[in-house]
Amino acid sequence: MPGWFEEISCDLGAAWAIARKDMKIYYIKPSILVSSLLFPFVMFLAFAIGRNAPAGTLIPGLLAITLLFSASSIEPVSIPIERRTKTFDRLIAAPVSIRAIVLGASLSGAVFASAIGVATTAIGLIAFRTGIIHIVALLAGIALTSLCFSTMGTLFAAYRTENVGEVMSLLNLVRLPLLFISGVFIPFASMPAWGQSIAFLSPLTYAHDLILFAFDGTTLFGPVADTLVLVLAIVLFQAVGALLYRRSRE
Amino acid sequence: MDAIEVIDLTKRFGDNIAVNGIRFRVREGETFGFLGPNGAGKTTTIRMLTGMTGITSGRALIHGHDIVRDTLAAKRLMGVVSETSNVYDELSAWDNLIFTGRLYHLGKAEIQRNARDLLDTFGLYERRHEPAEGFSKGMKRRLTLAMGLVNSPEVLFLDEPTSGLDVQSRRLIRDVVQDLARENVTIFLTTHDIEEANVTCDRVAIINQGTIAAIDAPEKLKQTFESLQSVEVSFDSARPGLLEALRMLPQVNDVRKEGDKFRLYTADPPEVLGSLCVFAKEQNLRPISVTTRGPSLEEVFIRLTGLSVGMKKKVGGTDAGLV
Repeated sequence: MPGWFEEISCDLGAAWAIARKDMKIYYIKPSILVSSLLFPFVMFLAFAIGRNAPAGTLIPGLLAITLLFSASSIEPVSIPIERRTKTFDRLIAAPVSIRAIVLGASLSGAVFASAIGVATTAIGLIAFRTGIIHIVALLAGIALTSLCFSTMGTLFAAYRTENVGEVMSLLNLVRLPLLFISGVFIPFASMPAWGQSIAFLSPLTYAHDLILFAFDGTTLFGPVADTLVLVLAIVLFQAVGALLYRRSRE
Repeated sequence: MDAIEVIDLTKRFGDNIAVNGIRFRVREGETFGFLGPNGAGKTTTIRMLTGMTGITSGRALIHGHDIVRDTLAAKRLMGVVSETSNVYDELSAWDNLIFTGRLYHLGKAEIQRNARDLLDTFGLYERRHEPAEGFSKGMKRRLTLAMGLVNSPEVLFLDEPTSGLDVQSRRLIRDVVQDLARENVTIFLTTHDIEEANVTCDRVAIINQGTIAAIDAPEKLKQTFESLQSVEVSFDSARPGLLEALRMLPQVNDVRKEGDKFRLYTADPPEVLGSLCVFAKEQNLRPISVTTRGPSLEEVFIRLTGLSVGMKKKVGGTDAGLV
């Protein structure tokens, strides 16, 4: 077996082991599951009440926001806690590459957020009879958006602290503005030119665009471009995350 | 080939030098103690040797694998037991071991077999499905050690393995470590318990302020400190001024009162024994017990690290040219 193949195989095995461990410890808990399922419902009420738009048209934006928050919320909490309890040292001491640790932590958030995203979509379909035009685009949108933002959460948790609040404050400095510059609250066409320029830099713009395409066929950039940008963002976040975790070890 | 080879290893944190150009070798199958006071650089050294923290300069090789250039190959050969019992509280003892085995890329059957054997060895098998959060401190420590052994390591790093444990857990862990040594596993042990190092280790290194002060077998280290030999005496009655009077005896370097006993430090115990008999007669004292003692490893440690307790400290630190 070639060395590079064995290395990738070991990395993937370790990443999946870390993801399973994180899901067992942090995600599959009644309190987390209930609050994660309630989140889109509360967001829906916040969106729908007092607006004239048909409820079904809110689903794509709601799904994008749900994926952003459910994917990026747990690792910035769990990693500082694991630093405090020294269980993170276990990963660092094991024969596991830093990139496998970053991938494993991101995978757990991605799997969890994808499940929440599918549940949100299912509720939307049943409650509002929302139609899906492109199922593959929807599934790709959910999976890529989840992995993109769970990697972003893991990346922020590279900040070397044992204090959860410090990581969450930093993360929210980026995460909350994303909502306003990505065409979710304010349609892209209604944004000023400077706003549109910033929107181009936000992965949420492309995630929302891909999900919107899946639901009603409308798109700004096209599904292929959206997919490519999301993949690029995942690769970039993974690489920067690995670099930051490596540096935090120095 | 040496199990561990450390060459001019240095670690800086900004302007602070935590470990300053240390160098030593640990032979295959050797139990090597790494002693030092708090902040001496023990944990930083162990973290560098296990690839948990970066190296500023120098090299560390594990069975010939450079920990910086060939990190994963070096890590596959080692087990690491941290000072803290870093188990996943939410997972059961069984799941903790299975997860650790997966990190070491072991096959499913091998992980399960090792997990069963280790839980049995450490007396945790009956409670294997309970979350670790309900375990006592001793049980968590045993589980931590079991997790460090799940990959059957060739080199085991133990950071304060028995610190703060009850007698039963201490003895169990000590027995397991001695069994591993018999199976030719190389053990790198840091401990505050000097007596533990004395009875467990083939050789010890004493690190102080980031540099190695001495490396040798415990008994050889003790022999180099002739002035730390002592005569321990207990008299039938205590009198004021006795401590000062004993200090005046010829060849006595220092005297410490330990309970109802006096300990007279000397490089020449027979000479002091003679003086002591004359002294007792003159003072009309009856010695109840008299014992001559060699230096303990703890005294050697205290002398080398400059933590002088009741000792006349010599300029230059050591009696012999150690390191």
